[in-house]
This record gives sequence, structure tokens and C-alpha cells, in this order.
Amino acid sequence: MNRAGPMVVVCVSPTDLRPEVDPLSAAVETDDRRCDLNAAEAAALEHGLRIAESWQGWVLVVCHGPIGADAVLRDLIGLGVEVVRVVDADHDSPLRPARRTRPAAELAGSPERVAAALARVIRHRGRPALVLCGDRSAATGVGAVPGFLAAQLHLDQALGLVSVVIDGPGRLLVERRLDGGWRERLQVEGPAVLSVEGAGVRLRRARLEDALQASQAAVEVDVEAAADGAAPGGPAADRTPAGHPGPGTWSVRPFRPRTRPVPAPQGDPHERLLVLTGALSTREPARVVGPLSPAQAADELLAYLSRRANGGNEPSGLNRRA
Amino acid sequence: MTFDAVVVGAGPAGSAAALALARAGRSVVMVERGPFPGSKNVYGGVVYGRILDEVIPRWWEEVPVQRWVVRRSTMILTDTQAVTLDLRSQAWGREPYNGMTVLRADFDSWLAGHAVDAGARLLTSTVATGLLRDASGRVCGVRTDRPDGDLRARVVIACDGVNSFLAKEAGLMARADAAHVTLGAKEVLALPAEVIEDRFGLGPHEGLDIEAVGGTSGVAGGGFLYTNRDSLSVGVVVSLEELAASRRRPEELIAGFKAHPAIAPYLKGAFLKEYSAHLIPEGGYSTMPPLAADGLLVAGDAAAMTLAAGIWLEGVNFAIGAGLAAGRAAAEAVAAGDVSTAGLGSYRQALERSFVLRDHKRLRLAPQLVLSDRMQTQYTKVLGDIAEELFTVTNPEPKPGLLRIIWRSLRRHRVRGRDLLRDGLDTARTFR
Repeated sequence: MNRAGPMVVVCVSPTDLRPEVDPLSAAVETDDRRCDLNAAEAAALEHGLRIAESWQGWVLVVCHGPIGADAVLRDLIGLGVEVVRVVDADHDSPLRPARRTRPAAELAGSPERVAAALARVIRHRGRPALVLCGDRSAATGVGAVPGFLAAQLHLDQALGLVSVVIDGPGRLLVERRLDGGWRERLQVEGPAVLSVEGAGVRLRRARLEDALQASQAAVEVDVEAAADGAAPGGPAADRTPAGHPGPGTWSVRPFRPRTRPVPAPQGDPHERLLVLTGALSTREPARVVGPLSPAQAADELLAYLSRRANGGNEPSGLNRRA
Repeated sequence: MTFDAVVVGAGPAGSAAALALARAGRSVVMVERGPFPGSKNVYGGVVYGRILDEVIPRWWEEVPVQRWVVRRSTMILTDTQAVTLDLRSQAWGREPYNGMTVLRADFDSWLAGHAVDAGARLLTSTVATGLLRDASGRVCGVRTDRPDGDLRARVVIACDGVNSFLAKEAGLMARADAAHVTLGAKEVLALPAEVIEDRFGLGPHEGLDIEAVGGTSGVAGGGFLYTNRDSLSVGVVVSLEELAASRRRPEELIAGFKAHPAIAPYLKGAFLKEYSAHLIPEGGYSTMPPLAADGLLVAGDAAAMTLAAGIWLEGVNFAIGAGLAAGRAAAEAVAAGDVSTAGLGSYRQALERSFVLRDHKRLRLAPQLVLSDRMQTQYTKVLGDIAEELFTVTNPEPKPGLLRIIWRSLRRHRVRGRDLLRDGLDTARTFR
């Protein structure tokens, strides 16, 4: 890793991947010793390592997690990355037991607050060439941190990526899923925040000697991040500093489904719901129509579905021969 | 990078070995395949910690205990009967304590932490895939599954558990023999602490250990029930050969044990948290492999050091005792510059002086005796019938004599006199 080269930042949040859930209260019991990266974060780190190697740069891992995550972070140090753990007052209380039970809603914390704390650490280290995250944390995360992080760092974002391909120094080709089986391919140049799904790559393992050396390494802790971290980030466009080169990400052959006007629904919503679901109305009694050949059975099914779909009218769009 | 010793496995034996080596000033690495010590272990039972007195003074003040065992019940079960010897001692609930229920994920991490504090290195998520040998054939390290993963050491201590691949590769152990291992299958059932205490007649930190012979649906073996802080460990330990022959699933046997009239009331309202199963080396002294080769020592389950002698079921204390002895012997051998089989011979000598081999040697006939067909089926029924008839009031008939009850029960279950005599002599010889 070349410390003089571009800085690739990977944000991780090790959590207990096998928490126990109380079937009655839904409280979640976590054990810090079971902390690990989820598949998406592991993929983000592997992408980060490959990109840093290709761009002749280095990787900074910024972690938002409990003290118990230090064992995981030492293993990452064995991969040759620099690691900083963001202190969280809730996570890092010395009185807090490694194993504890909490309501599920408390697991992930506020994504805005987490992103602010991560952004602060990143800013302290300089301007990143790239920031990679997993698409969501395993601790009931909703995938909002990367977006907040982009806003905090005034960077563009490409989220939910399934493929990241290095397209030369400082350039990437990335893909993400769209509805209907479509994919969007983006060319990324310049600093951006990317979040990736846990697919396509497998995180490498540290060499034995590196792992041994790292097993006794100290994990750097940023103690001020949490205190400042609550500052909410506004829209990135409002905060773009002077001299910022502007968007460095644009889409190539994007899929843009055309919009079409849909008339506003008429009438009472309750009545419409009753009509749509058929609730409280006379139901069609079950009847035996067999035995039938497969073709006849298919016709029967289509006819039934057509009747249901058209409120008893003749089918219009259904192709009976389909 | 060459170390004085590599310990494979950070269970009780491995951590004890690493602790002894580190305290002797030797460089030592523990290689653990799980993400943390104890993470791969399914054990949830009773640990007897007296052996820790010599290495961790007042260990009971810091050990991650679930409950201190003050009640010990030994049950003999038939389909409809249970004969129970129930012992309670409040002395076991006070310092220096006797046995404790623990969860091994906690206990192993704690013991490995002591080894690390003493100077040992712990390398987790790393599997030792084979042995390294020098030109003379002496073991000189292990190969791991990490890139550039050769780890060189003057001595390797294999504490890699039952079915030890390293002991097999070294030629110390033949291929696995189903006759010498049992299968332990266990469920952890959640139950509030106060319910456990009310139901089992226990105080806030007190625990109960139930060991049962029979109750395993006709498959040779027994059952167990341990009280943890807010859960119960319940399960069966059965002969692997008989289980395979019965073509039944272990979870069926657990279900049968849990449904036994003597066990079911204890489990009411509990719900399943975890199911697990593991092999146990219960073959005893006669199935132990050679304990040392050039550059290699074997300890713990890898050396079949689980004591399964009917009324005594112990393993962790034997593993710790063997691990400490292995660590000390390795440290001495490294200091003397002789890690050949002869140079490591002090390991076996130490074990022969200690409870580890003395108990195993004295009770070497016990595993076969306990798992024998007569002991498992005929004698349990005989005992159940004798106890039932003895306490059944048959008025207006007068009470039958005890000898008459015994005779009738023996005849009913077709126990032959010479078998009874032979088994009686074997039992007397074993437990003398």
C-alpha cells in the first residue's frame, strides 16, 4: 500500500451476525465476540483493496462498532489497511457487557448520526479518492448511511452496486440493478461514495505472518467523532464548496422508464378497497371442474382470473392462447 | 518466524498448555479455527475446576460460571420408571466450590484470555491443515489455511479435539473407530431463572446436574439435564454404533428423553434456543493414542481423555490437567534442546503421576461396562422393578422379602447368574 497515493476509504460496521431473538418480546441478544463484517461490507473492502492496488493508493477502514469489533479490525489490519474505530458512547461504555439484550430498533442507531461520525474521521484524514460501503448494515440497517455520508462529504453517490470494474486510474465502471431485470451502468470518475451488495467478490485472507503481527496491533480510536457526529448533513448541492469540480458520475445508456399520467382515484378509499378486494361481497362458491386435460385446466384458470380481474366483464387483454 | 511451541486448538487443553508455556517464558501461538475460543464448542455441562487452583488462584471469583452445582442426581430410567440417587451438599455452593455449569463459549474465552495475558499469541479463524516435518521426519510446525501459512515451531501440541486430524497424520491415531466414540446431542432450552430455581429447589446461584442411565429409546447410552442461569441443557449421549444400527435420528432420542415422565415436568414452558451435536471420545484408557512423537504432543479430547465411567462424567478438568502437563513438558524439552519423543517423555510421566492417567487407568473397564447391553437394558429394568415392588403395598398380602423380590425380578428379566456374577466382579474391580 502506497501511503502517498490516493486514499480509498471503506466504511464498515461489524455486528453480531447471529443474534438471538426473544420470540415473545422480540428483544435481540447480541454478543460482541460474534461480531463480523457482513457480506456486503466484506465485498466493499475487497473492492477497496483491488482499487487501491490498481490506483497505487492505500485503504483506510473506518469502523462504527463496539469494542468487541477490535478482533475483527485486527484481522483487517493484517490485510495491510489502516483502521480507525469511531467511538460511540453507547457502544463503548466500559461497563457494558459483551453480551446484552436490546430492542431491535436500537441496534443500528441513527444513520445520519453514524454517517456524520464517519465523515468526520474521513475529513480528518484528507480528501478520499473513493468511499466504499456495504449496501446496508446487518444490524437492522436500512441502507441510508452511504447516502448521508455522500451528503456529509459533498460527494456524488452510486448505491446498491452489484459490479465494480476498474476502468483505469481514477475511473470505475459500476453496475446496479433496476426494476424489471434491467441494469444501470455508470462510469465513476473522481471522488464518490459507492455502496455495494455482497456479491461477486470474496474478501481475501491475511497472510499468516501479517495476521500474527496484527493480532497484537492496537486499533486506533477516534474519540471526538461521536461528540461532533450529530451534526446533520443537508443536501450535497447546497454545500458544495467553491472549487469543487461538480458531479464526476454520470450514467451511460441509462434505463429511464417513461412517465405516464395516472388519473387520481375517485370516490371513498374504503369503498374502493372493498371493490378491489371483493370483501363483504358475495363470493363465488367453489366448484369442481375436473378432471380436465392440462390445456382445458389452463383455460379454466385463465377464464377465472379474467373474470376476477375485470369484475365479471369479458376479458379484454388476456390472451387465452397464451 | 519460528516459535517455541504451536498449540492447535484454544479449548481447555490448548489454553492450559499455552498458559503453562507462556508462564515458562516460551513463545507460543494458539491456532484456533473459530472466530474466538469456544465458538465452535457445543458443550454445556459441568466443569470441575479444582485443577485450576494451581494456575489461577481464587479462579472462582472471575470464572464465567452459570451456576454452582449443589445438587447431583443420578437416575436409572426404564420406559416408565426412574430410580434416583439425589445428593445435595451446600458445601459445594461455597468456596472453594466443586462443580459449575458453564457455557463453553464463555469459559474457553476466559481461559484463553489468561494464556494471552501471560504472553501467548492467539490466532483465530485459522485452521491447521497439516503437520510440517523436517528432513529427519520430526514435526516442526503446522500448515494453516492462510496464505503463506506455514507456522514453524519446535514443538506442536495437538489439542484439536476428538477425531484429531493432526494425531492421525502423525500416525498416533488410527482412523476413527465408531466403537470408541459416543454421540452427544444437546438442546438448550430457555427458562426464566426464577422458574429454574423454584422448579429444581435451588438458590439464586445454585445448580443441579442430572445424569441418567437409560431413557434413550433402547439405544445404549444415557441422558443429562443441567441447569444454566436462565436455560437448561438437556440431551443424550449414545453409542454411535448402536445409533447407526437403530436408524434413528439423535433429535428423536432427545425428544424421547424429554418426554420421559421423570424429565418432562422439569421442561414445561421451556422453549428451544439451540440444538447441537458432537462426538465424545469415551473409549477411555485402552483407546488412548501414544501421547508424544518427535516434536509433537497430544492432549485433551484428541488423546481420548474424557472420563465416562457411569457415575463420573468428566472431560474439561482432564483436558486442563493434560494441557498444563503438556505445556510444562514442552517448555522443559525446548529448554533442554531435546524435543524428540524421549525428550518429551516427561509429559506422560507427569500424567501418570496425576489424576489424568491414574483415574483413566483405574476406570479403564468402565466405558464398556456402562455401555454393555446388560447394564443398559436388563439391569436397569431389574433395579426399577425391585424398587417398585419394594415400595408397592400389597395388603392384605404381607410384604415379600427383599431376596424374594430380587430373585423374581432377575428371573422376570432373564438375567443369568453367571453374567450377574461376572458383571458384579467387573464392577467391583472397576470401582474398587
